[in-house]
Amino acid sequence: MNYTDQNAPPGGPYQWGMAVDLDRCTGCEACVVACHAENNIRISGEEEVAEGRQINWIRIERYWEGEYPNAKLKFMPVLCQHCGNAPCEPVCPVYAAYHTPDGLNAQVYNRCVGVRYCGNNCPYSVRYFNWFEPHWDEPLNAQLNPDVTVRSVGVMEKCTFCVQRIRAAQQTAQEENRRVRDGEITPACVQSCPTEALVFGDRNDPDSRVAKLMKNDRGFKLLGSLGTNPAITYLRREK
Amino acid sequence: MDLKRRDFLKVIGATAAGSLLPGCANVETRKLIPYLLPDDEIVPGVANWYASVCRECEAGCGIIVRVMEGRAKKIEGNPTHPLNQGKLCAMGQASLQGLYNPDRIRGPLQRDGKRGEGKFKPISWDDGIARWVSELQKRPGGAVMISRPASGTLARLFSEFMRGISGELLFYHPSEDAPVRTANRLGFGIDFLPEYDLANATYLLSFGAPFVDHWLSPVHFGIAYGQMRQGRPTVRGEFVQVEPRLSLTAASADQWIPIRPGTEGLLAVGVGQIILSERRARLGKGDQKRFEDFYTRFSLDQIAAQTEVPRKEMIRLAREFSTAAAPLAIGGGIAAVQTNGTDTMMAINALNILVGNLGQPGGIRFFQPAQDFSSGEAAMVAEQALADVRGEFKQGSRSVLMLYQSNPLFTLPPSMKFGDVFDQAAFIVSFSPFMDDSTAMADLILPDHFFLESWGDYAQAGITPVPVVGLGQPVVNPLYDTRPVGDLFLIAARQYEGALKARLSWKDFKSMMEAQWKSFLNRQGVNQPFEAAWIERLQQGGWWGAQGKPISVSKRELPPSVASARFEGDEKTFPFYFYPFPSMNLHYGQGANRPWLQELPDTATTAVWGSWVEINTKTAARMGIHTGDVVRVISPFGQIEAPAVIYPGLRPDLISVPIGQGHTAYGRYAKGRGVNPLSILAPLFDERSGSLAAGGTRVRIEKTGKQGNLVLVDQTAEGKKRAPEGERGEA
Repeated sequence: MNYTDQNAPPGGPYQWGMAVDLDRCTGCEACVVACHAENNIRISGEEEVAEGRQINWIRIERYWEGEYPNAKLKFMPVLCQHCGNAPCEPVCPVYAAYHTPDGLNAQVYNRCVGVRYCGNNCPYSVRYFNWFEPHWDEPLNAQLNPDVTVRSVGVMEKCTFCVQRIRAAQQTAQEENRRVRDGEITPACVQSCPTEALVFGDRNDPDSRVAKLMKNDRGFKLLGSLGTNPAITYLRREK
Repeated sequence: MDLKRRDFLKVIGATAAGSLLPGCANVETRKLIPYLLPDDEIVPGVANWYASVCRECEAGCGIIVRVMEGRAKKIEGNPTHPLNQGKLCAMGQASLQGLYNPDRIRGPLQRDGKRGEGKFKPISWDDGIARWVSELQKRPGGAVMISRPASGTLARLFSEFMRGISGELLFYHPSEDAPVRTANRLGFGIDFLPEYDLANATYLLSFGAPFVDHWLSPVHFGIAYGQMRQGRPTVRGEFVQVEPRLSLTAASADQWIPIRPGTEGLLAVGVGQIILSERRARLGKGDQKRFEDFYTRFSLDQIAAQTEVPRKEMIRLAREFSTAAAPLAIGGGIAAVQTNGTDTMMAINALNILVGNLGQPGGIRFFQPAQDFSSGEAAMVAEQALADVRGEFKQGSRSVLMLYQSNPLFTLPPSMKFGDVFDQAAFIVSFSPFMDDSTAMADLILPDHFFLESWGDYAQAGITPVPVVGLGQPVVNPLYDTRPVGDLFLIAARQYEGALKARLSWKDFKSMMEAQWKSFLNRQGVNQPFEAAWIERLQQGGWWGAQGKPISVSKRELPPSVASARFEGDEKTFPFYFYPFPSMNLHYGQGANRPWLQELPDTATTAVWGSWVEINTKTAARMGIHTGDVVRVISPFGQIEAPAVIYPGLRPDLISVPIGQGHTAYGRYAKGRGVNPLSILAPLFDERSGSLAAGGTRVRIEKTGKQGNLVLVDQTAEGKKRAPEGERGEA
């Protein structure tokens, strides 16, 4: 007998989460391009980027510390933290930003009316507004992923943890009346990451890699003092 | 018209993908969904994955391509491929934008107007091939082919064809790795590369090796790096990077040592001397005396003065390195692109010999690559060999230039005067799928398929611990009226009488590949019918064997000489060292026509869509230069202008500029954007490898008073500066 609710598998619901090991991240940005390819993120072009209107659901923030010859360069991949107490959600007048039962901070594009309150309220600046209609020079559009919608002008967009991949795996698991296995879902960024700095999984499964990494004593939450309760745990770089 | 749904899709696919398909050449790839799957298994909306080999750089990662209704959607690493183990870099991901690039050459073209004017008109395939062959036959022995390094069957085909017409075949690819390979050959007497076992090293001493940026196989070493740091329960590998510019790779290091450019080999010798004198070396009996004689020739104080690495620091490095459980020294990048590049790499290899890590886990291990897979006999050459080609054209002994995915006009400095070849050649033909800077000078363009539309194989020469031959298949129908370059060479071979025709008698390139694989699999003892074995290899993406024992290395040569590098330009007029570095996303410019890569922020500076000049913080302050000011970089051989970026991780006496932009052609995204720093380099070479000493030209910089349109993504989506304390949006 199959279960009917995708988030009610045997053993209790899922809580998706991610661990980002800064001691592994080399700033190679494979994740950034993988995300663009998977999620139909539009090409902004030089002028729009200059106006700060580019879209990168995941970006590598870099921090210079110290002066020559002791200069240090550190990286941090920043994407939507899928906060448990998400500041973006309560301010949306049309319920476009909402929390899924399995812990995703979702954006319903066809509800969004573009007031940008959510972007304004996000402490991580990971929500991106479409200031222009997206455009691909023919035939670049042949590459677009049919599993992911193309967002039009006036809509706020953001990282989904590759919800299309999550739902596909959940559906398979549901048909086989089992839980999604650890490692069965890899968002595009996690999939490409050569150093395995990014790990994705179910936080409710104590045996999952992500649950174990979240207990690592190098762990911290981005802007943890804000109490947003992110689903992403960062692991501090050791040196 | 009574169309079934599936037929309808086929029609759409065929029209969109190949409305200009020619008569007969590629029957095989004309089916909508080409291989393995019968029509019944194609379900609209459900993806098929095809295994292939990435050809965006020379590493040859295994890939799997997600294809829906005949269109490629996403590329990921092939999880079973020993080199990249399911991972892929930004460039590999972006190869889809090569396939679907709006500026691909869509059919054969001939020059219309003067050479270099950039005007072309279509020509039919039959006429185009006939013209190419007749030009070759008119000038027996007159052809030079400059090709990117082909591998496997294609390399063998090129090689046999060019030998058959008494031409010269040069596999040339701009890179900083030629001295690494040469040092390997001279030092260990082995032609292929070892596995540098970063994953199991506990102490990594890297002299400029940019293994995260572009060294040999960044994905392979990225995986190993993650393992080295956090893949073992109790050990975290230490990592020290010695180089004048803090590269993306150095950013991950525990310590960065900004050494004086061109003296990396001396530092390696200094460290080696200390290891020997403190009796921490693990040398074989035969080596002890030889090594002592070599190392005692040098004075530590002089080395400290020349490298600007204090003696105390050298002693610390030597002790840390020699007492580590699994030390590993590697070199490359800026240390390799000097006039003493190969010697430097050999001096670094000698450190590995000193600590006895050859053949050890965490050290340097040579594993036998796949044998019996013929790749022809053409060797990879470096820039110096192209200078020799220029001489041959000048004398008139060569007069036909053939280009295959090679862009010498962009990657060679004008000071080498390679443009003369383009002026003097009687006939130039290019097989490039893109209108790159050199192809734009051709008389005839016979465009190849993009690699995702092609058959191909790739024999790994080292790096992996197991023998690997990757196998690539077309994952989509050819989009345009292009033809596989292999087919063209086989057609041309048929126009010759005698040996050439007999040796290359296959009907098309795919048959040649199948024949090669058939005999290869036979020799590997695969006792399956070929059809079944072939399909299995296609599904797997190639063939890989079992891991053997590391080969024991009998030759352990020390560098023939260790001297500081030579530089062009006198210190007074040109006070700065200059390092044009291959950009992480654009490499040597190949990535410049992919918008994803143009828009991918350079990680250290966050710059996109352009060029910039990196200047040390204090140097810039002294000269009153701010981020965004356009500066002029002047060498004895030319000048370029680009906006400045203040870069804290740079020696005060060094200026660096990324390579990749400054194309005069190469499509709408690349053409006329930024500057090419290679254009101001002196014709200096590393003597032993013949590779361009790109770090050997000195420069001075001037303010121009202009503001550049430097685009830094150092801002939030709402347009606010993310780091308010930075000076004028300092990088």
